[in-house]
Amino acid sequence: MERLPEKKEISNYIIQSSEDEIKRIAFELHEGVGQTLYSVFTGMQLLEANMTDHESKHHVHEMNEILEKTIQEIRFLSVELHPPTLSSLGFLPALKSYLNLYKATYGILVEVEQVGQEILLPERHRIMLFRVCQEALGNIAKYADTHQVHIKLEWEKHGVAIVICDEGIGFDVEKNRHKPGLAVMYERMKLIGGNCVITSTLGKGTTIQLELPLQ
Amino acid sequence: MFDKTIHNAAIMDICIKTLHEVNCDFVGFAFQNQIGPDIKWHVVAGNQNEKYKHITLRYGKGIAGRVISTGSPMTIEDFPHDILGKALEYPIMLAEKLIYAYAVPIYLNGAPKGVFLIGQRLRKGLSEEEKKVIIIQARSIEDTIS
Repeated sequence: MERLPEKKEISNYIIQSSEDEIKRIAFELHEGVGQTLYSVFTGMQLLEANMTDHESKHHVHEMNEILEKTIQEIRFLSVELHPPTLSSLGFLPALKSYLNLYKATYGILVEVEQVGQEILLPERHRIMLFRVCQEALGNIAKYADTHQVHIKLEWEKHGVAIVICDEGIGFDVEKNRHKPGLAVMYERMKLIGGNCVITSTLGKGTTIQLELPLQ
Repeated sequence: MFDKTIHNAAIMDICIKTLHEVNCDFVGFAFQNQIGPDIKWHVVAGNQNEKYKHITLRYGKGIAGRVISTGSPMTIEDFPHDILGKALEYPIMLAEKLIYAYAVPIYLNGAPKGVFLIGQRLRKGLSEEEKKVIIIQARSIEDTIS
């Protein structure tokens, strides 16, 4: 009799399929729609430069400004969905690129400390770690009421450890353990053979410890 | 065009005046930078922190981004409930812990280039009279920068 897939395999498959789709959309936005709009933008700039009628020139200038903002937003969307550097350069460049966007979007400053040299993780592990960090940072922006976050990455021969700390309002971890925002972080780390520990003290802040042993 | 060194004091006066005249906790003015496509919060009153200084508005996203992209006023009645998109798309609401917001576009040379936003941390809503006051103040900002 054919063996039925285990729950973990099904979860893995669902997450992988959705990650593939997100990556495809991000790539299409960045390389397809974004590039096409950029070509239109440069063409419009040329048109604007050669125009003599003041009113038309002003009108084209306004359209160019809207195009420029749209191109910028498409780049931001692409980074949020799946930073292009995550597949090519690795986890840290992708995280740094996301953190620039995070600071500009939420006004929260993020300090990054790195110990050791980045070890190139398998792409699936990179994506999962990135998503967990993204979820943690999103939760901080939504609930922590803080203006600063500290991230420490420690690369060792046997694994990587990431600690995300904030000095926000804190929360009751036990009461919220099964809420989707936290449950998804535990689950994603478990799926790649890692571990996630969340500790928090009301009024003092929250610490998220992620550990991923390298096979 | 908005020039911080020239217009800051006058717009701050308008923001403070609005904070006193309208039943609200936060007033903010965001405008497109002189160079490049970035739109930033330049003048605020009633703020609880300095996060606004680092925020760059996302064109077409959140209340302020949508007001600038559509050129029309917008109201958030009960944040984070009944909103378009995700709560994370509304950074100024999160940063200043706003529940209610009303935002109007600031036009320059016939195009929306900025936003004037009024927010409440306890939802009380705004009367039509108060909304009229806000629109008048937004026109004053337009006159100041034009």
